Amino acid sequence: MAGIYIHVPFCKQKCSYCDFCSFPNKSGYEEAYMACLYQEMKLRKEELKEMTFDTVYFGGGTPSVIDPKYIYGAMKQIKTCFRLSQNPEITIEMNPGTVSEEKIKLYTRAGINRFSIGLQTAIDSQLADLNRIHTARDFAHCASLLKGRNFNADVMLGLKGQTLDDVKKTIDFATLAGASHISMYALTVEDGTPIYTDYLNGELPDEDTVAYYYEEGRKYLEEKGFKRYEISNFAKEGKESRHNLNYWARGEYVGFGLSASSFMNGRRLTNTFDLDEYMKCILSGFLPVVDSEEVDGETAKFEYLMLHLRTTRGMKIKEFESLFGSFFASYGDAYEKTKAFMTLEDGVLRIKDEYLYVQNSVLMEYMR
Amino acid sequence: MAKPNKLIRNFCIIAHIDHGKSTLADRIMELTGQVSKRDMEEQLLDSMDIERERGITIKLTPVRMYYQALDGNEYEFNLIDTPGHVDFTYEVSRSLAACEGALLVVDSTQGVEAQTLANLYLALDNDLEVVPVINKIDLPSADPEGCKKEIEEVIGLDASEAPCVSAKEGINIRDVLEAVTKIVPPPDGDTDKPLKALIFDSYYDNYRGVILFVRLKDGRVKVGDRITTFLSDTVYDVVEVGAFSPRLQPKSSLEAGEVGYIAASIKSILDVAVGDTVTNADNPADEPLPGYKRVQPVVFCGIYPLDGSKFGDLKDALLKLQLNDAALIFEPDTSTALGFGFRCGFLGLLHMEIIQERIEREFNLDIITTAPSVSYKVHLTSGEVIDVDNPSHLPPQSDIEFMEEPIVKAEVYTPPDYLGPIMDLCQDKRGTFKNMTYLDEHRVKLDYTLPLNEIVYDFFDSLKSRTKGYASFDYEIAGYEQAKLVKLDILLNGDVCDALSVIVHESRAYERGRMLCENLKNAIPRQLFEVPVQAAIGGKIIARETVKAVRKDVLAKCYGGDITRKRKLLEKQKEGKKRMRQIGSVQVPSEVFMEILKTNND
Repeated sequence: MAGIYIHVPFCKQKCSYCDFCSFPNKSGYEEAYMACLYQEMKLRKEELKEMTFDTVYFGGGTPSVIDPKYIYGAMKQIKTCFRLSQNPEITIEMNPGTVSEEKIKLYTRAGINRFSIGLQTAIDSQLADLNRIHTARDFAHCASLLKGRNFNADVMLGLKGQTLDDVKKTIDFATLAGASHISMYALTVEDGTPIYTDYLNGELPDEDTVAYYYEEGRKYLEEKGFKRYEISNFAKEGKESRHNLNYWARGEYVGFGLSASSFMNGRRLTNTFDLDEYMKCILSGFLPVVDSEEVDGETAKFEYLMLHLRTTRGMKIKEFESLFGSFFASYGDAYEKTKAFMTLEDGVLRIKDEYLYVQNSVLMEYMR
Repeated sequence: MAKPNKLIRNFCIIAHIDHGKSTLADRIMELTGQVSKRDMEEQLLDSMDIERERGITIKLTPVRMYYQALDGNEYEFNLIDTPGHVDFTYEVSRSLAACEGALLVVDSTQGVEAQTLANLYLALDNDLEVVPVINKIDLPSADPEGCKKEIEEVIGLDASEAPCVSAKEGINIRDVLEAVTKIVPPPDGDTDKPLKALIFDSYYDNYRGVILFVRLKDGRVKVGDRITTFLSDTVYDVVEVGAFSPRLQPKSSLEAGEVGYIAASIKSILDVAVGDTVTNADNPADEPLPGYKRVQPVVFCGIYPLDGSKFGDLKDALLKLQLNDAALIFEPDTSTALGFGFRCGFLGLLHMEIIQERIEREFNLDIITTAPSVSYKVHLTSGEVIDVDNPSHLPPQSDIEFMEEPIVKAEVYTPPDYLGPIMDLCQDKRGTFKNMTYLDEHRVKLDYTLPLNEIVYDFFDSLKSRTKGYASFDYEIAGYEQAKLVKLDILLNGDVCDALSVIVHESRAYERGRMLCENLKNAIPRQLFEVPVQAAIGGKIIARETVKAVRKDVLAKCYGGDITRKRKLLEKQKEGKKRMRQIGSVQVPSEVFMEILKTNND
């Protein structure tokens, strides 16, 4: 398994919690940026010629904000430069305020077969607080355009003034609209974002409340046939995101565009976060990599465990051992200390359902 | 009989903290050309980082200077700096024994203070000639005449001739030096008699072994001499002698009346004791010098290495500190919660704090300290009386007939505005009011007797916060009194944590128990399970709080670019966790053991 990630760093406006690499009001750059992105693929064509990719993921920013012809162009370039497998999963992130029938048509022609919609909440006042550009109605419209298609909706927990009822309403809203996949994750408050002020003033629900919403939301989703398969991800049977599952299997991936990461041959590379620098590099014929880390030994072993244990599939001891040698020689002591929080059945190690949300405390014992 | 050099003057400086002692010492060294102004590091004698940062003197540091006096003679001055704080009275008495005179520095904006008096009486007890010096005359609020009057009235010392100076601005420093030549007598003794030298300090040098700081009373010592001390039989060959400039400066010999150092390849720091007398092995003196009174520690605490494998390093550090701080005592101790460590005794709270800080800074060791305690006299039903300074060593209640606790005589100096809050505080701390004296319209002295265990708890902080820092406080041990005391245990997840036990007065037990549980609840991070924090007396639970289980700790998203970030975040958390101790099944940060000191009142 291997995946391709394409980063589109443009947005209509910045959300109040956002510290990702994205630029509002830079629409003049779109064409130049996408040209560089095509060029970046060309630069890595030779290096990646032996690989077959099973998934492609357009993330951002807001990939749906730019002219869809660039997405079409990017897919064309991918097919020109790299080998895709028989049935690739190709996903695009969309903001409900930026979609149209034409866009979705062109995406489909480009081969995109999975959509991820940033709903966040069905309560308009909360959307406004988040500085989102859309309303709940925009989502409904977007979902109607995607009727019968495979799509995900993002649901956020821990918003200002949010009640459990709001969470359930949002889940209802998304599932009734036809979502086959729900990403439900807690708002992460980063210093420097506008929402940090709300956090400092104690206006956001506390950790225990968020944990409670999460637990109730999880049950509610399961009642509706959505199975949790990773800490923040729920899907109907067979609708899990293959692209993301690859991350948690510690599979290889190649990222193109600003701030994108790649993981190949045990090395993790990260592109620059500076738009001008990115373009300058590409135009001069260099890869815009600013960080390159060899992940090996203990670190690789721990990463493998950490990623697998995020999923409900867990970690197959045999597969671990084929890569890193005896599991118990490495982690026997840690396992002894944490076995109350885990299951080890049929050679598969998992964190128990009720402890998945406190995974860090469990993992801590496995660190040297 | 040969008298020592008549032109030697050995003296020290006595002052309350912040009255300008170290600055005056700097000026004196500057004026005698000991150090040029350009090379002058502020407060040269305070060589420890902690001393400079806190603006206090802990260790005595001798220095030799030569002064060209107005009478045409060149005098040899040996100045020994002394600590101002009452905790270091022991250090002071050591320096006094090496001197014939003392400068009494009084801040002309503050007047005579409690600590100045305490040290002054020590000086008078040692038959030292005292030269009053009125400092800080450059400040607008200075009142030199009032200050002289106060010295005459409070101390009974003639201050009419006292030099009025500003050490900071370097005004009238020469007057001080002239007064030293006139008032301080030359040393007594006999250079022809067998060697008799008082060890007043020592430290360990990696190349030369133990360096002895000595004051020669009789005789001479030179390189090649064979020396011994009265308390040990070992004979050492002198490899170096010299004076302090203030750094060590080798000389060919030292003789009676002089202050200097001796290096004799003394390998073990256990072989020499401060207060012992050095003599010549081939021509020994009949009897030793009086030496020092052994001081009794009054405050105790446990010190444990954060990393259990550093026990040996901690022991080394304590031994080296003890070499020039004889007042520090320690013995190995074990705690179920903290493993192997030491039970240490100190002269007071500041002394304890300084030692803890020196271990961490000078020896680069991370340590866990337990709450300070005092030494109780425990009368057992068997009739036996034992001393207990470690709460976890207290016998079961059923074996105890009664207990006595140490009591102090305390003096609180304060502006009259704060009398009410101070009296409330002393009442709270089980104090007994003795007397109240108006020193003048701005200052009142309150006399109380107080249990020492209340003082080591939070008395200083409460006093400071209730009087906005205006009140000062001094105390001396005044014996033992019977009291109803109980041991308060803390249980974490059902197990007693011995390092958190305290001995408290029965009437305070419930309140302390409640407060402790509350503080601990806030200081212990949430774990994967609920942790009950309970306070108990003899098995009976008197307070309980709960550290709730952690319910959410994951990073919500973990996609391509997040993996490294997430891993690094975990690595950082893991680092924090390494500073924790596992107590039973509970992870406890090392700071928790001092939480016991915090109050929620002020």
